[in-house]
Amino acid sequence: MVAQNVGHLDLVFSALADPTRRAILERLAQGEATVNELVAPFGLSQPTISKHLKVLERAGLVSRGRDAQFRPVRLNAAPLAGAAQWLGDYRRFWEESFDQLDEYVKDLMQKEKDHDSSSQRK
Amino acid sequence: MTAAASVSEPIADRELVITREFEAPARILFEAHSKPEHIKKWFGPRGWPVTLCEMDFRKGGHFRFQMTGPDGEKGPPFGGEYLEILPNQKIVYDNGFEEPGSEKMIVTVTFDEKGGKTKLTMHTVFASVAMKKLHVGGGMEEGVNSGLDQLEELAAALVAKERS
Repeated sequence: MVAQNVGHLDLVFSALADPTRRAILERLAQGEATVNELVAPFGLSQPTISKHLKVLERAGLVSRGRDAQFRPVRLNAAPLAGAAQWLGDYRRFWEESFDQLDEYVKDLMQKEKDHDSSSQRK
Repeated sequence: MTAAASVSEPIADRELVITREFEAPARILFEAHSKPEHIKKWFGPRGWPVTLCEMDFRKGGHFRFQMTGPDGEKGPPFGGEYLEILPNQKIVYDNGFEEPGSEKMIVTVTFDEKGGKTKLTMHTVFASVAMKKLHVGGGMEEGVNSGLDQLEELAAALVAKERS
């Protein structure tokens, strides 16, 4: 997977912030669809769906086929994986960091003790 | 997600507090925060060690970190400036991804020692509610989270499929 820059992640997250766009992605996870096939289940106008697709496309979350008439829409998984890494990770990030810090300070204290006892032996 | 949004958003909507008690004196915890050799031993989620760690640990000094994941994939570099340092008591810094116009969170870490134990409090103020949601998830916003959770599962499944 290509490393994503944060500007790109911003695009991905703002694309994901809208429930209709998330629903479109969930629909595309089952297979590609034409714009018309997407319009029907969402009860939205075609221009509205097209606008949502443009946002998703800019974020790299979907790509459009070359078939001029239908241009089927496909889901691209890679940006989602990058986004998933950062989703709601902040608390977990620190909980795990503090777990590791807990182990590490025990090491530091042990080292200090060893150092003290060896310097007292002089 | 404009930076201007934060001006009118109350801090209470943008903050997050995480606490942890350690069986160690404050000076040891402060020490563990103050040098790259220590930071590399504990900072970050398991499996994502800090592999780039530049620190000028003094008020006005900057830091720059980057983590590397289990498959060798590099996370985006991030960093900021030390705004305040009180030895063994408090470290305040700002932090954000290295990207023009990227929002910065302000993090205050305090060490509160009592009877040989130390309570570490990490208080984060995000630049905007949007930034908080980005890092912490919506919480209050029904649907957003479950939608994102599903997407997270979906993404994981798709990536697994791509790799197989």
